Parts: sequence; C-alpha cells; structure tokens
Amino acid sequence: MKGQSVFAFDILLFVSTLILVTLGIAFIYSSGITSSGEVISTEHIKQTIWAITGVGLLVFFASFDYMTLRRWSLRVYLVFICLLVLTLFLGRVVNYSKSWIGIWELGIQPSEFCKVAMIVQLAHVLDKKNTQLRDLKFFALFFGIAALPMLLILIQPDLGTALVFIPVSIVMFFIAGAKTRHIAFVVLAGLLMIFFTILPYYGMYFGGGNASAMSLFTDKTLSLYLIGAVFMVCALSCAGLFFSKKNYFYWFFYFSLLLFFALAGSFAARSVLKEYQIMRLVVFIDPNIDPKGAGWNIIQSMNAIGSGGLWGKGFLKGTQSHYRYIPQQSTDFIFSILSEEWGFAGCLLVFVLFFIIIVRGLFIIRTSQDRFAAIAATGIVTMIFFHFAVNVGMAIGLMPITGIPLFFLSYGGSSLWSVLISIGLLMSFYIRRFKV
Amino acid sequence: MSTSGLTGSRDTPLSKIRIYAFGVVVAAVFFVYSVHLFNLQVVNEELYQSRATQVTQRSIPIYAQRGEIFDRSYDTPVVSNIDSFAVDIIPGEVPEERRTDVYRRLAGYLGISEEEMRRRLPPSYAGLYQPVEVKSGLSLETITYLAEHLEDFPGVTWRSKPIRNYVEKESLAHVLGYVGDITKEELQILYNQGYSNGSVLGKSGIEKQYDLILRGQDGKEFRTVDVRGRKVGEALVDEVPPVLGKNIVLTIDRNIQKLCEKALGSRIGTVLVTKPSTGEVLALVSYPSFDPNLFYTADTADAFRRLSLNTSFPFLNRAIQSQYVPASTYKIILTTAILEDEVVSPSKTVFCPGYYNYGDRVFRCHKHNGHGSLALFSGLAESCDVYYYTMGAEYLGIDRIVDFSRRFGLGELTGIDIPGEIPGTLPSPAWKTKTYNARWVGGDTVNMSIGQGYLGVTPIQMANAVSMIVNKGTVYKPHILKEIRDPQTGELLERIEPEILAAAAVRPSTFEAAGSAMRQVITNGTARVVITTKAVNSAGKTGTGEVGMEDHWHSWFVANAPYDAPPEEQIVLVVLVEAANDWEWWAPKAANIILHGIFSKMNYEEVRSTLSTWYLPLQALPQEVQEVR
Repeated sequence: MKGQSVFAFDILLFVSTLILVTLGIAFIYSSGITSSGEVISTEHIKQTIWAITGVGLLVFFASFDYMTLRRWSLRVYLVFICLLVLTLFLGRVVNYSKSWIGIWELGIQPSEFCKVAMIVQLAHVLDKKNTQLRDLKFFALFFGIAALPMLLILIQPDLGTALVFIPVSIVMFFIAGAKTRHIAFVVLAGLLMIFFTILPYYGMYFGGGNASAMSLFTDKTLSLYLIGAVFMVCALSCAGLFFSKKNYFYWFFYFSLLLFFALAGSFAARSVLKEYQIMRLVVFIDPNIDPKGAGWNIIQSMNAIGSGGLWGKGFLKGTQSHYRYIPQQSTDFIFSILSEEWGFAGCLLVFVLFFIIIVRGLFIIRTSQDRFAAIAATGIVTMIFFHFAVNVGMAIGLMPITGIPLFFLSYGGSSLWSVLISIGLLMSFYIRRFKV
Repeated sequence: MSTSGLTGSRDTPLSKIRIYAFGVVVAAVFFVYSVHLFNLQVVNEELYQSRATQVTQRSIPIYAQRGEIFDRSYDTPVVSNIDSFAVDIIPGEVPEERRTDVYRRLAGYLGISEEEMRRRLPPSYAGLYQPVEVKSGLSLETITYLAEHLEDFPGVTWRSKPIRNYVEKESLAHVLGYVGDITKEELQILYNQGYSNGSVLGKSGIEKQYDLILRGQDGKEFRTVDVRGRKVGEALVDEVPPVLGKNIVLTIDRNIQKLCEKALGSRIGTVLVTKPSTGEVLALVSYPSFDPNLFYTADTADAFRRLSLNTSFPFLNRAIQSQYVPASTYKIILTTAILEDEVVSPSKTVFCPGYYNYGDRVFRCHKHNGHGSLALFSGLAESCDVYYYTMGAEYLGIDRIVDFSRRFGLGELTGIDIPGEIPGTLPSPAWKTKTYNARWVGGDTVNMSIGQGYLGVTPIQMANAVSMIVNKGTVYKPHILKEIRDPQTGELLERIEPEILAAAAVRPSTFEAAGSAMRQVITNGTARVVITTKAVNSAGKTGTGEVGMEDHWHSWFVANAPYDAPPEEQIVLVVLVEAANDWEWWAPKAANIILHGIFSKMNYEEVRSTLSTWYLPLQALPQEVQEVR
C-alpha cells in the first residue's frame, strides 16, 4: 500500500501551501524595506531557510506512516509538556512573553509544536476511548489534555496561542461525536465568561449601563456574594436531581452551573488580565477611544488595507507599511502589508488558497476510513482556520487584537515548521485514507 | 448520565452533519471577511486613501517675508529685514549616549541656560524626527562655527529666518512697535485670520495695526513623513508659495522726527508734529523710548522685564496713551467760545488784582501781583487766569464750556492708527455725579476755566484742537499710514486719503479771531521771550499744568505755523514736558528749536549753532539723548 502513496499525493493541497509560503517570504522581504528603500532586515532569508527545511519536514511526515506516530503520541505530547515547563524556567523573553527556548541562536517556541502534539494525542484518546466520549466524566477528563499545555502557555504569558487550544479541542470533540449538550455547555460558558469579563469595562468607556448593576462585577465583595448565591442554587438543584431524578432539575442544574462557571471564570479573568489586554477588547469596539495607544494598530492597519484599493499600490510600493505606521508587519500584521500592496485582488488570492487548504482538509476528514486520522485532521483544519480567522479578522478590524501569526505567511520558524508538519500529516492521512 | 445509545466501534463513521456544519461555519467566515474586505478596499477606498495620506503628510510653513516700512520720503526703509539664522535640533538624530553632552555644549555655545534648553527639548522629544527651534536671530559667524564643528553637534541644523531690523531706533519705537512670536491667547482670537502656531506678529504700534498688510501670507510645503516624523524621499508632494508682505510708507518725516527727538532731549514728555490739512503725523516722539531690536538679543525676556519695570514707563506712548491737565492751552477753547457765542464783547476788560474770589474760595492768578485791566486778546496773550475765571464762572457757564470742549474733540478718541489710544477725561456736572457722587460746584467751573481740575487731555487731542482753528472748523483724522506699496515693483497700491473726523458748527470768523489771538501770544504775550526764531511766524499757546508738586509743572506748548499761510502749508506742533523733569519751562523752548529747524530746513545741530537764544549757550556741546536701559 505504501508504494501507491506517491501517486495519491494531494497536489492541490501541496501547491496551495507552497504558494502561500512563497507569498509569505515575498512580503516579509517587503516589510523589511524602509522608507528610503534600504533592506534593513534579514528575516526573509531566515524564513526561506525555514521554508525549505519545513517543506522537507512536510514531505517526511507525508510519507511517514502516521500509525507509528500514533503509537508515539503520548511520549511526544509529554516531551513537549516538559519543554513547556522548561521554557517557563529557562526560556527567553520574546515580545513580553517567555516563549522561546534553545541554545545560542538555535531554538524553538515549544508552544507552536505543542499544538500539533496535543492534536495528535487528543485524537488518539478520542478514538481509543470512543465509547466513553459521551460520558460526562471522561468528557471532562479528555479536556485536560488540551487544558494542561494551554495553562502552561497562559503562564508565559501568551494569551493568543493559549486561546487556540479551546476551539481546536471543542471542534475535535464535536466531530468525534461528543454530546451536543456538553459541547454547548463549554461553548456557552466560554462566551458568557468573556461577556461578563468585559461588561463592566464597556460600561466604563462607552457610558450607558446601570452603575449600581455594574458594581456587581466591579466590587469584589458583591461579586463574591453573587458567585456564592449562584453556587447555592447550583448545589440545591444538584441535590434535587440526586433525590428526585426529575428532568427539570437536570436543566436547572445545567444552567446554574453554566452561570457559576461563567461568573467565577470572569471574576478570575478580571483579576488576571492585564490593563492592555482589556483595552484591546475595548478598542475593538471603537479604536478611536485610544487612537495613539491601544487603538493605533487597528487604525493604521485599516488605513493601510483600505488604501490598497482593488489592485493595491504594487509590490514594495506600500506607503503605510514602509513608513512603519504598521507595527509587527512581518509577523502579526503581514496581512496588512499584503493587502496594501496587492489590494483586494491579492487578499482574494490568499483567501482562495486558505479556502482550498481547509476544503481539502474537510474532504480528508469526510473520506478518511480511520477515525483517528479524521479526528486529528479535524484538529489541524480547525487550528489553521482559527489562526486565519483571528489574524485576518484582527487586521481588518473584525476581531480584537490577539498576537497570533497567520500561518504560512507570518515570519517565524516554529509556526512555519509546525504548520508544514501539520500539512504533512494531512497528506499522510490522505494518502492512507483507504487503509486496511 | 448514561452511556446508552451509540456504542462506538472503531469504524463507526463520523457524523456527516457535524462535518458539514463545521464546513458551513468556515464558509460563512470566508464570506463575511470577503464582503468586509470588499467594503474596505473597493467601496471605501477613497476614504482610507485620504486617511492614509492625512497620516503620512505634514505641512511645513514657508514664512512670508514681512513688508518693509518707509518714512514719507520713501528712500531707505526705517524697518527692514536682515538675514539671520535659527538653529534647530532634530532630537531623533542625536545619538542617545551623547544627548546630554550635545545639549549642554549647544546651550553653552548659544548662550542659553540649560533650564531653557530643557524647556524647549523635554525628554519626551527624544525620539522626534522633526526640527525643534533652539534659538533664532543668530549671525552667520555663529552658524559658520557650528558648520565647522559639526561632528560635535550631531542632529543640529539651521535655516534662514530673517529678523526685523529697526534702523531708526529709539524715538520711532512707539510709532513702529515691535514684533514677536504669537502667543496661545492671540492665536485663539486670530486663528481664523490665517495666523498659525509659530506666526510672528506685530505686538504694538504700526506693526500691530497693519499686521495683516505687512505679514503677507505664509506658504506651505507638504512632505511625506514616516511614523517617527522623518522626511521620506526628496520630492515635495506639493507647495503653496508664500505671498510677500506689502511695504508701507508712513507720513512720518524722518528729519523732523530726529529734530523733535533731539529738541526734547532726555526729558520725559512728548512732541507731535502734524499736517492739519490732511491729518498726517509728521513726527511723534515720546520719551523715554526703547530699542525694538532689543527683543532680538540674547536676553529678550530680561530686556522686556527691565523695560516693563522701569518707573518712567518706556512702553507708554505719551502722545496718545497718557492724559494731562491742558492748563492754559485750554484757554484757546474758551476764547473760541467767548467769540462764537458773543457772551461778552472781546473788548470788555476785566481787572486782575492777582486773585479771584468765588464764594469763600480764593483762586490765584499765576502773576501774583496782578495783570491790571485786560480784554480778551491780552488776556490770552498774558494767559491771565483771573480773566478766564471771570469769563468761565460769570459769563460762559459750565454747560457752554463742556459743549465747546466737545466740539474740539476732547474726551473722545481721535482714531489715530496706532493701537492703545485713550480718550482722556472731559468732566461735566453729570460726569462728576456719576464718578464721585458729588455735586458740581461753582469752584469746579472756575478751575476748569483755566484747564485745571478734573480735565485730562492727550497731546494728540490738543494737536486736533489747534488743527481745528487752522482749518477753520474741520479736523482730519490723524494718521501715520500714508501709502501701501508692492514689495517688488514699488507700485502704489493704496494711498490713504484725508478723512474728516469732526466739523464744528462755528463761524470761520471766530476761528480767524482765535488764531490771531494765538498769534499775539507769540508777538507780545507769554511766549515772546522764548519763541525767538525768525524763520517763521507762528501762533501758539503756552501752558503750565499744576500737578500738586512743589516747583514742578507740566510744560505745554501748542502752535501752528506759518501763521499767515493757507492751512495746506501749515503745520501744528504740540510739545509736552512732564512735571517729573526739572523745571526748565522747556516746552516753548523746544518748540522754538523745532520751528526754526523745520522752516529753515536745518537739523538739530545746525539749529544749535545758528539760533541765538538766551537759554541755549551757543558753544555748548549738543546734548546727547540718554538711552533708557
């Protein structure tokens, strides 16, 4: 069977990947040019090296039988967990977070690779313990696989990267066949938590909202009373369910627990989140609240993108980017420089390429005869999609600023390698989709 | 919770619906993003393009050259612009580690304190790539030194910034005024007239009055800059050229001005020479004065503070901004009232015993042993107080006195074209009730009849009063601007025409009689002994103002000359020497020098050497005007 694999190569997926990576190198080069036309950065050279080695890795993982990898999944996962722990102690601070580990100039960001390791490990468990998936106890237990690296990354702190674990694991659970109400519980609790976290800040910056009602969230004692009260309702309905086994007690318990998690979580988040992170959420609604500070990135990025027009200003001819109005142009805001120089047409090209990759991924999920492969592919597709949606959404003003890279395009060896490995895995799943 | 229902086997197919649901979410996001991007880049492209341009463009003003100011001869300017330089620093180009050092060295070289340096370049400017002015008004030598030692001054640049050069210093300062950087308060008021932050504008005098004519219009240069304000590329995006300020020609005669300045000498006071037939001001001297160039020297703030605190108020333009009791010069107005209203025959005599009793008060004549009997003409010539006490209190009455004062323009602005004029004080019974809440008494009328008491006039008002007699009833608005001319071609753009300020309903014959009475003051009255010049026949009136100081009085002299010439050829002269000086009875003496100088076309030194007077020793060295510092 392995002999056929070369002919069954997913050419569309591969070509789209290569084009995106090439575009990335081109615009990383563009972002390194100053207003006076000098090339001040060697990032494009480094990215080229990583791209070439990365494609090697891609081919390697594509031809590698993933069943072997599956057997090693727990060990790989644990190695990266260990690396994450090690990073917390020995890591180097890059962009305010301790996310980089290595010796001399060689090193990696374990958090990027850990996403892939987590996906494989979670897919393995979800396939093996298939029958227990609909059981609440195991449902919670499996979540731990995603939660452990996520917490370690949160400590770094790298909120953006940590957030990726949530949608990835939820979609994997969803596709693997978890109970809708469990999934709904997690999604609703998460959304409510975000809502409760930022609610008082919106009141503060945009007026409106009842001040005394807001004090339920801003006043520490009042918040604790509120959480306690919800917890009491929770406990009572739990007791009711235990003794009467009535269905309405179940739903009462379900929603009160949901509320409890959301409130407690938002309470914790408000005490953990930094001022600048809150401000990012506030300026997402209206960047002009703080145009020179937190709103700067959004305003400048939208100016650059909007001024690009239909066909763009031409490669290397962007103004906003070369005059350095856009921060982090080679990493988080690579999409802005592309949009400015290539316009709407260039953006559509990138969209189409991403869409092909994701649709090919969905096709692999749909056709794979192996549950493990399908679930792992789900994780990879979700990861790529989430990065795309958050990064592009942020550049065009539809998402709050979270510093996560745009896969394939953004400068950075670890993220490029991890995504190329992921594509390699997808191909491996594709090649072996009719396996015995 | 039960695990009943699906019992998963290894090959249980995944739920297709869930996969499709996920696919729908993906497709929806792609769709929404595409629509949003289309909206951003295609529909609103222009909006974002203009925002992007706005963000990257800075406009830099190109300052228009200020117009020059000439005296009436229109030969060499009395105010010009001279080449000068300003030193800027671009903080972003100063290496971090050398910053303190470079700032200190530059401050030391330019002679400004380190505090001032810190004020101009606060630490928050450290990364700025725009030039910040450190100092202006620097010479070429200063810049040459900087250029030769450029390695010691990284980030330092310079540019041409012409400064005002006041060629005729001191005595013209009150007329010309001076210029300075616009203040925040001024900008708030003037923003809509095209002034901007960094504009230079006239702060007083002609510079202020005609600022809009002199300043022209600043141009603009648009440049593209990067996020740190650094200029991008060499090409200018656009340019609006500046419009040069227009030149103006004053009515001032430089030679007469100089003559008046020297005739007054170092005495606190003022001299005015006007042309009654047009209202043109030929000379306006106010002492003490100041040097407007001082505001460009190293210690501008210091010079300004010193001048402001000077107790003789050098900034005060005494010709228009200070009021004095008119004293006996006021008798001209009473004389006109007596003649016009015929309240008494001009030949009616009054006996002057040297004092005048009114109620229980005794008013003295300046001649303590009395003038004996005199009529109107000799009363004015001898300036007999008792004659005018009698006329004012017994024949004219306060209402008529106030009425005639008003006809002569007292208590009202003359509208001269330099800012800051005051109207003086014209008292009346109603005024006294309002101001002091006291009743007007007969004694007040007696006092006012000889120009004492509450009365306050400005020298320019007295010049107008004499002009009215010369013109037989008409007064032209006094003005200093004569012409506006194109700065490049010299073409006449506008000539200021005489404007009638007041026309009094008084018979010409009355003014004729009043004028001949003033002539007698010179020929056989109080001024006979001092007006010795044979160059011209003049008419005039002396005045000695009581200000409550022992042996010190304001000394007034008002005159018109030549007496018998038509008004077009006449000039009006007003001299006031304040009581603060040693008593020399200097006003008529200065007038004698000035009249002689003007009509024999001599300068002060020539007058000193030819005019034989009892008070000016011929061989004495010319008196130097002391500078007020």
